[in-house]
Amino acid sequence: MIAIQHEDVDIGRLISEAKLPGTGAVVLFDGVVRDDDIREMELEAYEEVALKELEKIAGDAKKLHNLFHVDIIHRIGRLSVGENILIIVVSAGHRPEAYAGSRYIIEEIKKGVPIWKKELRKEGDRWVPGEHPHDAGKPA
Amino acid sequence: MTVKVRFFARFRELLGTDILVEKKGTPVVLALVKEIAQKKKDGYDAIFDEKGNFHEFVIVMRNGKRLEPAETATVNVADGDEIAVFPPVAGG
Repeated sequence: MIAIQHEDVDIGRLISEAKLPGTGAVVLFDGVVRDDDIREMELEAYEEVALKELEKIAGDAKKLHNLFHVDIIHRIGRLSVGENILIIVVSAGHRPEAYAGSRYIIEEIKKGVPIWKKELRKEGDRWVPGEHPHDAGKPA
Repeated sequence: MTVKVRFFARFRELLGTDILVEKKGTPVVLALVKEIAQKKKDGYDAIFDEKGNFHEFVIVMRNGKRLEPAETATVNVADGDEIAVFPPVAGG
C-alpha cells in the first residue's frame, strides 16, 4: 500500500500483511509528531507527484534491498502531537535487508518527495525548513 | 493557451495556488511565474532574487518533472501545462 491520506492506518494489519512466505524480518518505521512545544502540525503535499515518487522509491527499495513487501503511508492535513505522520513497513528474508530497505526509503523521502510541514505554535506558525539543497531528489 | 500554475507551502500562502493563466504567446517558465509573482511583493521576494532569477533553493516542475534552474529561462510553456513552484521539501 502506497498512499498519501488524511486517515491513520492499522499498523498491526500492515505488519500481518507484510509477512509473506519466506519472511524472516519485518521493520516498521513510524514517524510521529514530536512535542516541540507545538499545538499541532499541518502537512501539505503535491499529491499527484508525491504519490508517484513514493511508488518509485518503494520499487527501487524492493530491487536494491531484496524486500518482499513495502508499505508507505504519508499522512497530510492537521495532526496532533503523538499522531503518526509516516508509516513505512518492509519485509525481507533477513534483518540486514529489512533495516537497510527501511532506511533507504525514509532517506529518499526526505531528499525529494514534495511534502511540507508547518508547525502551529502559540507564538506564531513556522514552516519546517527543508533538509536538502536544490539538487536533491532529482531523477537520476 | 491556458497554463495552470501551482504554488505550495509558504509560496502558496503568499501567492495563492491553482492559478489559471490565459496567454496568447508561449513565454518561458521563468517569465510566466515572474509575471504572476510580481502582483505581490512578499511572494515575489520569496521566490526571486535581486537579479530576477529563482532563488537557488526554489524547485520548479513542469508537468511533474523538475526543471534545472537554467531550463526555466529556456523552456517555453505549452497549452495545458502545469507549472509547480515550491520551497525545499520537508516530509517524513
